[in-house]
Parts: sequence; C-alpha cells; structure tokens
Amino acid sequence: MATRHSKLARGEALTGYLFIVPQMLGFIILVLVPLVMVFIYSFESRNLLFGNMGFTGLDNYKTLVEDDLFFLTLKNTIIFSLGVVPLNLVLSLALALYLGAASAGTKVVRSVIFLPVITSGVAWAIVFKYLFQGGDAGPINYILSFIGIEGPNWLHEKGWAMVAVVISRVLKNLGMNVLIFMGAVMNLPQDVLEAGRIDGATKPVLFWKIKLPLLMPSILMVMIVTVIGSMRVFDTIKLMTDGGPEGSTMVLVYYIYHQAFKTFNIGYASAVAVVLFLIVLLLTVIQWSLRRRASFYED
Amino acid sequence: MRFFRKVTCALLLMALIAVPVMAQGSQESGGASTGPVEIKIATWTSNPDQIALLNSFVDEFAAKEGIEINAEFESIEFGEYNTKLSLELQGSEAPDVFWVLETSAPAFIQSGLLAPLDAELAEYNPEDFSAKAMELWQSNGVTYAVPFSTSPFFILYNADLFAAAGIPTPEELVAEGNWNWDTFRQSSKAIKDATGVWGYQTVDGGGYDVRILHNLCPIIRSYGGDAWTSDGQILINTPESAAAVQLFHDMVFVDGSVVPPGDQSNFFAGVAAMTAAQVSRVSNLADADFAWGVAPMPAGPMGDVPIIGQAGIGAFSKSDNVEIAKKLVAYMTNESCVARMAGIWPPARKTVLESEDFLTSQPLLTADQMSVAVASSIETGRVLPSHVMYPQIEVESRIIWDRLWTPDADVQAVLDAVAECYAKYIK
Repeated sequence: MATRHSKLARGEALTGYLFIVPQMLGFIILVLVPLVMVFIYSFESRNLLFGNMGFTGLDNYKTLVEDDLFFLTLKNTIIFSLGVVPLNLVLSLALALYLGAASAGTKVVRSVIFLPVITSGVAWAIVFKYLFQGGDAGPINYILSFIGIEGPNWLHEKGWAMVAVVISRVLKNLGMNVLIFMGAVMNLPQDVLEAGRIDGATKPVLFWKIKLPLLMPSILMVMIVTVIGSMRVFDTIKLMTDGGPEGSTMVLVYYIYHQAFKTFNIGYASAVAVVLFLIVLLLTVIQWSLRRRASFYED
Repeated sequence: MRFFRKVTCALLLMALIAVPVMAQGSQESGGASTGPVEIKIATWTSNPDQIALLNSFVDEFAAKEGIEINAEFESIEFGEYNTKLSLELQGSEAPDVFWVLETSAPAFIQSGLLAPLDAELAEYNPEDFSAKAMELWQSNGVTYAVPFSTSPFFILYNADLFAAAGIPTPEELVAEGNWNWDTFRQSSKAIKDATGVWGYQTVDGGGYDVRILHNLCPIIRSYGGDAWTSDGQILINTPESAAAVQLFHDMVFVDGSVVPPGDQSNFFAGVAAMTAAQVSRVSNLADADFAWGVAPMPAGPMGDVPIIGQAGIGAFSKSDNVEIAKKLVAYMTNESCVARMAGIWPPARKTVLESEDFLTSQPLLTADQMSVAVASSIETGRVLPSHVMYPQIEVESRIIWDRLWTPDADVQAVLDAVAECYAKYIK
C-alpha cells in the first residue's frame, strides 16, 4: 500500500513538474539568465556599439559613487515613490470601502476606475502629456482658468513635472488596487464587525480598530507591489517628460535606459541596474518582515 | 484517471520536445534554401513614396547584378533610431544596409560597424561627391558611408498669416535684402500680436529637447559663435553665442511669439506662422489649406549660416551579405539614383547639385525657391558639430539646457554650464 501510495505521489509530482516546466523555462531564459548577465556586465567595460572592451572589476561601481546624476535619479525615484504609494493606497482603500458598501451606481464607478488598468500605458501617457500642456493649450489649465487659477507649464517646470507624472501614474494603476482591496473588504468577517457595532463602536472606531487591522495583510501586500511598481516606472517618464526638466523626473529605470541605449554604456547601466535590484530586494525584505509583524490576523 | 494523467504527461513531453525541434527544422530549411538574397534596410522614413523610390533602386541593382533580392525596409521612428539600430546590430536581426545620423557618424565609424566602401564607389565617379560633404563620413581617407542627403534647413512660412498681420513675407524681405534675425523676430511678434497665432515653431517642435542645436546653431553661427569646433574649441559660451541664444530666449519669454516648451502647436496644422524645415518636410504641405512659401534662414552679423542636416547610408560590416550590401550602397548613391532623390534629399554630388533638373526636382517648390532656399544654402551651410562622444554630450548637456527654458533664466550662466559639460568630452 505504501509503495502504491509512493508511486502515486511520484506520478502526481511528475505531472505537476511537467505543468510548470514551460513557465520555468520562460523564467530561466527571460529572467534568470539576463539577471546573471547584468551582474557580469556590471564588471565589464561594455558598449553597445564597441562591444566588450574587457573586465574592469569595480570601476563601474566607483564611477557610480562619484556620479551626481545617479544620486539625483535615486532621489527622484524616492520622491516619485513617496508620491505614488501613499496616494494610491489611500485612494484605492477609500474607493474600495465605498464600493464595498453596495450603494447605487457602484458598478459604473467600478468600471470607470478599472478602465485605465486595461488601457495601454503608452496611450495613457500620451493623453496625459496632451492634457498637461502648458499655457492655454492644455485642457487642464483651461479648466483651471475657469476658477481663476493660472496653471503652470506642468511638464516643463521643475516640481510640477513630478506632480504631473505622479497624478498620471496614480490614476493609471488605481483600479487594480481597488479590486484587490474590494476583495478584502467584502471578505471582512461580518460577525466581528457586528460584535463591534453591538458594543457601541462608532464608524471611525469600527474603521480604525477593526477594519484596518483586518485589512492589514492586503494593505501590506498592495504596498509591496505598488512600491516595486513605482521603482520600475518607465513608460510614463519616457513619454511625458523624457526625464526633464533638468533631470527632475529622471528616475533610476529611465537612467538605466539612457545609459544603456542612448549613450550605449551597457557596463555602467548594468551596474546601476544591480544597485536598483538590491534596493528593491531590500525594500521587499523589509516590507515582508513588516507584514509578518503587522498582520495579527493572518493565518 | 491514471490513464488520463499518463496521456497528458506524454502529450506535454511531446510538445516540449517537438516545438524546439520543429523550430530548428524550419530554421535549417530556411538556411539551406537558395532563393533570393534577403537584404534588410533600416531607415527613419516611413513615407511610402520614399520607400517605394528606394525599393526601385534595389530592383535596378538586382537586375544589374543578375541576382534576385528581397528587400525588407524597416522604418524606425527618428527619436529612437540610434537606440533600436544599435540593439539590432548586436543581435541576429541586424540590417544589412542602414541610414546613419550625422551626429552619430563618428561613433559608428570608430566602432567598426560600417564597412569600407571605396572599392565599390570607384565604379560610380566618387570624385563627383563634394569633398566638404564627405568629410564626416570618412576616416583616415577611407569612406564608411555616403551622404545621400545634404539638406539645409530653411524657413517655411504661412503666407495667409503674414497677410492677416499686414507685414511683408520672408521672401519679400529677402528680395529687399532685409531678411535677418531682427526682422525675423519682429515678424514673429507682429503675427502673434495681430492674429494671436504663434509666430514661430522650432524645428519639428523639438527645439527645447531633441533638436536643441538644430534650433540654436543657425542663430549662433550667424552671430559668429558655435557649439564647438572640430579642433576642440568650445564656443558655446562666447559673447556672440550668448547674444544669439538671448535673442531666441527673448522671442520665447519676452515677446511670447514662439511656440513655448510643452505646447504642441504645429506649423503644418496652421497654428504657427513659421518653422525651420528641410526639403523632405515640404510634402507635408501638399494638401495645406493655407498659402505658404519658403525663405533661407535669416542672416546675422556674420551673414547667413544655415545648418545642413546630413544623413548617410552604409553597409553593416558583419552582415552575411556584406559584399552585396556594399555594392548596393554604392549603387543607391550613383548619379542616376541621387538625381531621382534630389527633390526629397538634396544631393552631395556636384553634377546633380549644379544641374537645372535639381532646381525642378521638388514639384511643390519653384526653381527660384529651390535656388534661393536650398541650393545656395548648401553652399554656405555647415553640418552640426559632431564628436565620437556625441551621445554622452547630448544626454548630459540636455539636463543643463533645460535651465534655459524658464522666463528668468540667466542665459550666460546656462551657457557657461553647458560649456563645462562639453569640456568633459571635447578636448
């Protein structure tokens, strides 16, 4: 019987492995191998036009430490993330709580909010570039003029350019997080909420003391995904500001692109990519450990 | 159930083995075939008429050589051209023949990606090429690409808007001998004040980002300045250069007559009165619903110094078909082909440039317009400064140039910072 069970288990394991082989092959070829190659390239003087000009040890990393532009892009990336992540989390949670309470018109609102998620990122950025035009030509400035506000030249003024790309990015990705939060909100244990109400908890108390702690696993998971997504932003920057003005929206991924494909400096771009990889890894580890500590109700 | 699982496993295994084997098989059968020669040609034009013209040259060449060629034209967007091309040249999808941007010519030549062409060009009277036009495409006396376009920038203007503002057109000012940067500025402002329409749009709207030097160098050079010189002098922050840049800055932020950064108003849509353009852009006006004309770039204290935009064509040195590609490049730049391209891409061949046919080669321009705005500018114009480190210079200096596009910018201070950036690379 034990042998038969063992054979059965082996057969099932084999079936499972065969099913994941295509996915694993894709992962190895398209993710793991390029990742290893990026690590190797970061120790070489490699140029897209001139090819590999030899092993240079830590030279690319030494250049990186002395590169003001790298630190500017690192700062910009942090500012961008600090803009996108809290805004996205607060808005999506608020919308999920509103939509979770089955009120009238929620289906329409839900569809409208989810629409940007299925819209092409390129099309979205082009439309927002048009909307954020400076002067009278920009529709957003045109609307602002009705309430007596003279809008800035959004994409060409330092500070405002970052605001514009953050708004565009938040609106683009809001729907996905709303969907995740809605799932969590709708699965909140009704008996616990009911007990709270019977004990006389007001709506704010119910939210802060019961709903929020119960939602914490979802919030932390969404936060990890949103942080990683914000660190990897590319299309919005490329199409709306091209990293300008004065490099004020040049984020790390776009800097890697510039170094690799505009100045052809693959070796140095790889070194920056390795640093970005380590930053994202560190953030993920921190957030994951935070998730374990903060998620009192997680199984 | 177990039978079903076994069948599923077997099918999955077969699929996993069969797909790569079939793919390999199809590759082998493709490689073993002795069909037509596949030639891939990379360009940044997507105009079907222009592609058809280039394709006709390939057909003629194939007939001349007695071979069959399947030409695939790959149109890459101008702003991404170098990026995509350089990636393709490192992979298995590399073009055999490709256009080369003037600014990246030194880097492409030095990298060894371009095959030497002198032996193939010998068949087609290479002495006919203007020595000045060939400078950029040669290194140590060896030709690595051929300029198929030596195209000066000139001013396109909307005659209806000039009439509405009640001011003389640029062509009339040229005739009066009064077409200079001051009258250009006055015209631009007069149109904005009178009609509310922008007076000037920078070249392709890229004057604040991807075409900064294309936009500023005609003014700077006609004031006696430059970005840098071929012998390594950096002139971008000289008083002459600063005066020229100040003029443009004032047009944008004092007069408010130039389409400003971030505004997508377009000359060809009739919402700007003037723009800088080349002959290849004239076809955009074939269906224009306004009257238009052309004039040379305005003159400054040092005269009229237009910018010449050059584009070369070369053969990929590591192509499997490199010998055919080299011959094809030589053929496509022979006198006959160049003459037929002249109405789109002005030639570097003296015989074509000096012929009467050249002046009538662009159906939308009169012979007089071609003579005044194009032919004479080819004689007086110069290409943009280039350098083997141009990509780095462009990316790094762009961040500094951005400081100029604010109303209270200190022009001299910005130019000093740009000069400092240039000095890191130009020695």
